Amino acid sequence: MTKEVSRRKFLKYMGATALTAGSLGTTSKVWGQAKPIPKDPIKIAAVSFLTGAAAAPFGIPGDNTYKMCADMINKEGGILGRKIDLQSKDEAGGVDAQVKLCRKLILEDKVDVVLGYISSASCLAVLPLSDELGGLIIAYDCGTHELMEGAKSPFDIPKFKLGFRSKAHLGIDNIALALYIKKYYPNIKKVAGINQDYAWGRDSWLIFETAMKKLMPQVQVVKTLWPPLGNTDFTAHISALMGSEPDIVHSSLWGGDAVTFSKQALGMGFFKKIRMAYSRGEPYPQEVGKDYPEGQIICCAGTHYFLHTPKDKTSADLQKTFVTEYHKRYGKYPSYPCYHAYQAIYAYKHAVEKASNAAGGGWPTIEAISKALTGLSFPTPSGILTIREDHNGYEDCLVGVSKLTPKYPFPILDKTEVFPAAQVNPPVGTKTVDWINSWK
Amino acid sequence: MWIIYTLNGLYFAALLFLISLGLNIILGVMGILNLAHGSLYAIGAFIAAWIIIAIGAKIPPFFLYITLLSGFVLTGIVGLIMEKSLIRFMYKRTLEYQLLLTFGALMLLEDVIKMIWGGQAYYASAPFDLLGKADIFGHVYPTYFLFVMIIALIAGLLIWLFMSKTKLGIMLRAISLDREMATGIGLDINRLSTFAFVLGSALAGLAGALVVPTTPALLGFGHEPLILGFIVVVVGGLGSLKGALVGALLVGFTRSFGIAIFPEIELPLLFLIAGIILVVKPEGLFGR
Repeated sequence: MTKEVSRRKFLKYMGATALTAGSLGTTSKVWGQAKPIPKDPIKIAAVSFLTGAAAAPFGIPGDNTYKMCADMINKEGGILGRKIDLQSKDEAGGVDAQVKLCRKLILEDKVDVVLGYISSASCLAVLPLSDELGGLIIAYDCGTHELMEGAKSPFDIPKFKLGFRSKAHLGIDNIALALYIKKYYPNIKKVAGINQDYAWGRDSWLIFETAMKKLMPQVQVVKTLWPPLGNTDFTAHISALMGSEPDIVHSSLWGGDAVTFSKQALGMGFFKKIRMAYSRGEPYPQEVGKDYPEGQIICCAGTHYFLHTPKDKTSADLQKTFVTEYHKRYGKYPSYPCYHAYQAIYAYKHAVEKASNAAGGGWPTIEAISKALTGLSFPTPSGILTIREDHNGYEDCLVGVSKLTPKYPFPILDKTEVFPAAQVNPPVGTKTVDWINSWK
Repeated sequence: MWIIYTLNGLYFAALLFLISLGLNIILGVMGILNLAHGSLYAIGAFIAAWIIIAIGAKIPPFFLYITLLSGFVLTGIVGLIMEKSLIRFMYKRTLEYQLLLTFGALMLLEDVIKMIWGGQAYYASAPFDLLGKADIFGHVYPTYFLFVMIIALIAGLLIWLFMSKTKLGIMLRAISLDREMATGIGLDINRLSTFAFVLGSALAGLAGALVVPTTPALLGFGHEPLILGFIVVVVGGLGSLKGALVGALLVGFTRSFGIAIFPEIELPLLFLIAGIILVVKPEGLFGR
């Protein structure tokens, strides 16, 4: 016996089918026509400094993390069943070499995504290639606030369709430092700065000084010093700073420079009178060890600190596994570049899965992955990371003060304070300096 | 603070003196402008750091300071290899060839450093930490910096004695004064040139070894000292020991007081001084 279909029922079915077809049509328009999942591995290029001054503090920890994460992802079955074929590349050689390398990676090697870059100069040169060559690039560690910002506020977003940065820019470090100083050292009268004489140092000081002028207008800037990158003798700078008698000295020194400065300053009795405020000082207590002075203000370039417990449980669990696994593999606690590398590779993983789900399965197109990355929010070992519509990461920021405890062979952070993302990141489409200047 | 600014100037001058002394000997005796001098300085730093890290904790403190001489000795050997294999063929060539070759050697040595020691930083601060701090009129100052000044002073005195009192030194001076005449009276120019290059390289290596307890050794280590070393040579004059000393002191004090008083123009000021001397007295303050 055949079941008779009433006219009403028929129309209902037809309507539902049409609706489904319609919505599928819309989906495929927005999320692209996903192709069947290929069998071969995903080619991921990870570009970090593997040689040179930035290798030891950033490049090698970052690259180690990429390897560790790729192993972890592969162990769990890969991304949509595809294993990761990670190719580590060296960021050394200057901007021209990086542009050439990136062209090769996208055009010849046909990598699925380029995750990379520690130097702001590399990021500024390479990210425009994303749209030019049609390749997905996720910047993972470079700091300049200019990368995703336009010439003046308000600016159009996103600056690059296929270019992203899976972390916040240097604005958060320097704004958080200023907020911390206002809260914990409200009575200071004088500040000074020592920053390397190139974009990174100049930009970091600009943001810090602008924020300090707004937050603590009574504080006087008594000295700004600009040592060259790779300086090996800071004695003249140290005594010049001591001579100007500031209460706090702001610094974005990194790598060997940060260690050299600390060592020589320690030898000259600098820390007895003056407190440093390091915008990215998190790796150095572990690097210098017990000798690292106590009482220094240290920012973690986000909430990237191995002793930080994120508020949400998933992130907190991830943090536990991440710190244990990294320490087991490399004998050190992960420093902030490690967290940045985690954010980049997992941002790609989550975006691919989100885009595939939205398209109803299959391997998503590059445009769909880009769309999925925009507005993506996911748990990481240092908390929930959001990538905003301007294709830039949006993060909270942790600041603390170095303190020796019997538990670790180096000072850890005491009096920690997490500044929420909204307090340290400018709104989408507004330049950081304009935003700070608009504070009431 | 003025006493500390002065000491900082002296410390920086001590290092620059050693670097430019080597540069000056090579330039004066051999007429070779060695752009790879900065790399030799870096090699001295890496060698010393490497040895201090490897055996520093196992030897008595006195020997820790002796290990710093490894930079002097082993960099001298690197200089010997470099002279025998590369520099030797440049004596009769014009300056352009020398510059190209020594610049090539700079790149080559940089890669050799990368091959041997990799890209990471080497921290070897034990000699710096061990000497502690000195109290200088109420100011804290690292004793190690005073140690470096004394070593540079001793090295300077020894080189002066060697150049003015020993036969070998006098022969080297003779070559630097008049190469043709020196050949005419039968001096073995080739052997003496090799010696001068080895001595110059070893002095660069010593400077690198002395600086490494205060800062980690890493790639690109020798670039800044090379440039400042050239400023010293330009200011002080070619082939002059006195020139190297006065030039190093001038650069050291300009830097130290410049950073304290007018930090924005400290570096341009150094180049301005060098520029003025080039215009007014192209042979340098004590040059011939």
